[in-house]
Amino acid sequence: MKALLIDVTRCVGCRGCQVACKEWNELPAEKTRFFASPKGYQNPRDLSSKTWRVVTYNEAQTNGRFEWVFGHLQCFHCIEPSCATACPVSALQKTKEGPVVYDPDRCLGCRYCQLACPFLVPRFEWDKAIPKITKCTMCADRVAAGEEPACAKVCPTDAIVFGEREDLIAEAENRIHRNPRGYVHHIYGKDEVGGTCVLHLSNVPFEVLGYRTDLPKISLREYTKTAMQVVPHVKIGLAVALGAVSWVIQRRIRNGRDEKNGSSSGGES
Amino acid sequence: MKAKSLNLLSGQSVIWFLAVLGLVLIVYRFVMGLGAVTNLSDGYPWGIWIGLDILAGIALAAGGFVMAGTVYLLGGQRFHVMARTAVLTAFLGYLLFIFGLIVDLGRPWNIWKPVFNWQHESPMFEVSWCVMLYTFVLFLEMLPSVFERYRLEKLHSLWRMMVPWLIVFILGLFTLAMTHSPQWALAMVAVLLVWEGLIRLRIMPRHAEVSILLIAAGVILSTLHQSSLGSLFLIVPHKLHALWHTPILPLLFFFSAVMVAPAMVIFESLVTERTLGYKAHLDLLHAAARVMPYLLGVYLFLKLADLVGRGAVPHALALTPQAVSWWMEMGIGAVIPLVLFMTPELIRNRAGLFGTSVLVIAGVVWNRLNVAVVGVIVRPWETYYPYWAEVFITVGIISVGLLAFRWAMRNLPIHVEGESPHPA
Ligand code: SF4
Ligand code: SF4
Ligand code: SF4
Repeated sequence: MKALLIDVTRCVGCRGCQVACKEWNELPAEKTRFFASPKGYQNPRDLSSKTWRVVTYNEAQTNGRFEWVFGHLQCFHCIEPSCATACPVSALQKTKEGPVVYDPDRCLGCRYCQLACPFLVPRFEWDKAIPKITKCTMCADRVAAGEEPACAKVCPTDAIVFGEREDLIAEAENRIHRNPRGYVHHIYGKDEVGGTCVLHLSNVPFEVLGYRTDLPKISLREYTKTAMQVVPHVKIGLAVALGAVSWVIQRRIRNGRDEKNGSSSGGES
Repeated sequence: MKAKSLNLLSGQSVIWFLAVLGLVLIVYRFVMGLGAVTNLSDGYPWGIWIGLDILAGIALAAGGFVMAGTVYLLGGQRFHVMARTAVLTAFLGYLLFIFGLIVDLGRPWNIWKPVFNWQHESPMFEVSWCVMLYTFVLFLEMLPSVFERYRLEKLHSLWRMMVPWLIVFILGLFTLAMTHSPQWALAMVAVLLVWEGLIRLRIMPRHAEVSILLIAAGVILSTLHQSSLGSLFLIVPHKLHALWHTPILPLLFFFSAVMVAPAMVIFESLVTERTLGYKAHLDLLHAAARVMPYLLGVYLFLKLADLVGRGAVPHALALTPQAVSWWMEMGIGAVIPLVLFMTPELIRNRAGLFGTSVLVIAGVVWNRLNVAVVGVIVRPWETYYPYWAEVFITVGIISVGLLAFRWAMRNLPIHVEGESPHPA
């Protein structure tokens, strides 16, 4: 399974990846607004249907001095994606190569994928009469052609690298091992929500970069699994139970009536 | 007398106006996209349309299956006179719900895709099948009224012949879709066939007017539908506030829908009495009211036991908007009505009965809004409150529903046993 490794200690915040993403996916520019927060130069504030990758600006304290550390917003291409579990028609699907891809021809626009995604990734085209769900595709078209995704290709410092997921995990562990004081000892995405295909390394705690660190280690699918698995049991159980109960009640009514010998109510025969 | 009819008249023109306004806004929405008429955002992709029109609307339509089940399966024949109204309300409710869904879906022309793309891990897939099949079942349940009204004897006997087979087919197919397993589907089909066989052999109870299998299918599909709306929110432990996110959410959704059914029946009977002049069966309403304390008690117990069991009590005691909303929901919708329904003096008069039922209904609506909107927490800078057009579209859809209900009550033999409307 292919994956991306993002090492924020190598990122200089040039936003080349953000631009390359727009170019390859032919996404329009968007009117951005200044927003009050310590994030100063960040632009735009968040992902949108027109921006599938955002470099976030975070002022963080490292080794006693303030520094910019750059976080990265984009689809995590989860191994068991909750967006795909949520989607009633498999318009979102995990491919075995790694990317989680979208097929608008099936999509109902129910936006359940948006609710389900723990990373708030899928974006809806609110301004269109014929809207789609949009998100990073890990350049599935480039990957299929044997190329690496545009962001990884363009990054001047190799902060983003593309490869097999196991290799990248080994590489990340290696980097932490070689420079234990330069990294937080955690590969973000290795276990989060059951593991993702976008892995992050950082020198500051991940919550400083705005990443959620309270997510479960199991796929969110596990939370709906039981409820979905009991459905056939409920269906058949209920049919049997309803039948049995109605039979018992009917008998009681009939017996009661025989005793009283007469008066009927309702229209049963 | 004059003042009253004048009132009714102006009330009606207001409803017409709201319905037309809603429809105009809906046209605008389809031209300009959802962003133009809503405050929905990528952080809050679901708003009051889901909370009110869909979650609450479906819960309030539960009267249909609860009444039908009580009358035809659980031996509550004396409620017979109310079953048809309840089924009509449910049918109209579901049609409105589908209408609301078409407005809410971004790509409604694909609404039928779940029929062929089976993704049985998705609660939304279950929801979509339940909507389709239960609406169909309600339609079948409604048909005899139409046959009677227009004296279509032939069609009526065709209906009698076909219905059991249709039920076996759709429930079998649904089981297959939900499991991808022919064994499960065959088991479902077998159970239903045995049941129908026993009915024909006169071992199992049968009914002259309705198909028992059809009623049972309504109960089964509704049970799944009500609970699956709760299942939708299981996948968001990271977004839904701990006061509402619980593994038993499907059960709570189902149970609260059953609980609101008698309240809805009381409410509807008293309202139709006032506005359309059909006499309410007070004795039956009292009987329904006597069940309420049990239902409310069990619901309260479930809610509290769940909260304690999950260790979420501190969340209820914290001073957050969510906690406040939770207390309102529980107080207005469960605790106060529980006390009131146990006060015989209050329940004996119409106003008390009406008011208390309204509280229960409000509580369930509030609960659904809490789950869909209030309890959903994303990032601090993202907020949601409905846009005015969103509100008026909802109001418009409900107005269309009221007009349709009135039409059906006047034109279809819903009220049986020769009742005629009293002159207002
Ligand atoms: S990050 Fe969100 S959108 Fe991307 S694969 Fe995971 S669940 Fe789906
Ligand atoms: S909006 Fe489309 S892609 Fe997302 S869950 Fe609904 S049908 Fe699937
Ligand atoms: S291109 Fe590389 S260095 Fe530039 S912002 Fe993106 S990840 Fe950072």
